[in-house]
Amino acid sequence: MDNEKMGTAIVVTSGKGGVGKTTTSANLGTGLAMLGYSVVVLDADIGLRNLDVVMGLENRIVYDIVDVVEKNCRLKQALIKDKRHEKLFLLPAAQTKDKTAVKPEQMVELVNELKKNYDYIIIDSPAGIEQGFQYSIAGADRAVIVTTPEISAVRDADRVIGILEAKELHDPTLIINRIRTDMVKRGDMMSIDDILDILAIDLLGIVPDDESIVISTNKGEPVVMDDKAISGKAYRNIVRRITGEEVELLNLEANDESKFSKVLKLIFGK
Amino acid sequence: MKNDLVTIKGMADGMYIEVRGNDLESLTTAIHEKIMKAGEFFKGGKLIEVRGDELSPENRLELMLILKYKYDFKVDIPGISVPVAEEEKTEPAKINVFEAEEGLSKFVHGTLRSGQEIAFNGNIVVIGDVNPGAQLKAKGNIVVLGSLKGLAHAGVGGNTKAVVAAYSLLPTQLRIADLIVRPPEDDTQYKYPEIARIVDGEVVIEPYLPNK
Repeated sequence: MDNEKMGTAIVVTSGKGGVGKTTTSANLGTGLAMLGYSVVVLDADIGLRNLDVVMGLENRIVYDIVDVVEKNCRLKQALIKDKRHEKLFLLPAAQTKDKTAVKPEQMVELVNELKKNYDYIIIDSPAGIEQGFQYSIAGADRAVIVTTPEISAVRDADRVIGILEAKELHDPTLIINRIRTDMVKRGDMMSIDDILDILAIDLLGIVPDDESIVISTNKGEPVVMDDKAISGKAYRNIVRRITGEEVELLNLEANDESKFSKVLKLIFGK
Repeated sequence: MKNDLVTIKGMADGMYIEVRGNDLESLTTAIHEKIMKAGEFFKGGKLIEVRGDELSPENRLELMLILKYKYDFKVDIPGISVPVAEEEKTEPAKINVFEAEEGLSKFVHGTLRSGQEIAFNGNIVVIGDVNPGAQLKAKGNIVVLGSLKGLAHAGVGGNTKAVVAAYSLLPTQLRIADLIVRPPEDDTQYKYPEIARIVDGEVVIEPYLPNK
């Protein structure tokens, strides 16, 4: 084809588990599709797949990534079209296989094929730094590191950044997830600056700890579509930054101390 | 189990023996052990095929001959005639009639969890739950004595008469023969046992105890 695209493959990774890789992948993918880009979100967590559940597409899976690399089906057959966005697709992981089912070379081939037809490929990497992580990063052009303000998550993020450097995947960007400004203020939580001080990479965005995320995850509707949720706004900002736009960091303090409480303070003089 | 050199599988039409590797000596020893362990179980059984990816045609024939003459399996070896006595012919035929209709059944005790898969060349009966992410694939019917929340595929290979029944039938996805259906998006949960089958080319789900 003459009008082949040359999309960008972005791997979302963290080292530590449970920091929000899958949530981030679902929101980045959905957010980019909301801006009109064509997107494939690829679940690379074979054996522990979740991205399909978070996106509410679990019951549509027929073929998966292992079927594609083993050539049991064509790539197009395995791609599941999102319920809400025309140009968003999910390539699900296999659940009954394990991480030995895909090799880095196969992943490179697959991602390159996808890049020809889509603007963005978001790869949801599994936790850890073993096999699954290795093939997840194999086809990626850029990496997004997700961490939370905990010393263990930051330590793992640091380790992963080092490995990515060694694998020639330079300049990863950072998303700090589940920030709680009240705790940071009290000195009970690492601040954004503390984390950036250690990791020394560019900050892509911050996402506040928000119960809307739990609700949206359970509903299978990424929070980025929720106009009212502060975390939704955070993800929309991150998405715009990915596309190259300059967007100011979310002011979480304004949210923390809402206008309502400020008014109350004025009235009661506290 | 996976490391066994030899696996003997009983199917509706007879037995299949799967072997790993191509070392005749170790394979004959392993087959001998298996058969001795099973006692009378395999005696006089009908052997359909000896399978093995690494097995050479010569060794395959050799194994079939050993199974035939040493262990009394009924084996059809191309080019070698198998004399079958009259009375032997009639007796297993009765069993075959039964098997052709119902097939063999695999019973699974306990809960199947995410990532677990049961595939069987016959019916599957689960005495327990099937959680989301678990898969059942049966050539015949599937019966779950618990809640079925994972994926169930009955009639793999095109059997449109296959059914799926469960105390609580809430699969992520349901397949019968070549049809694939998923539940409606609403969260309606029915509190009675249901059965899914193909009626006029569509999968229909209905209670199988209509009076309860």
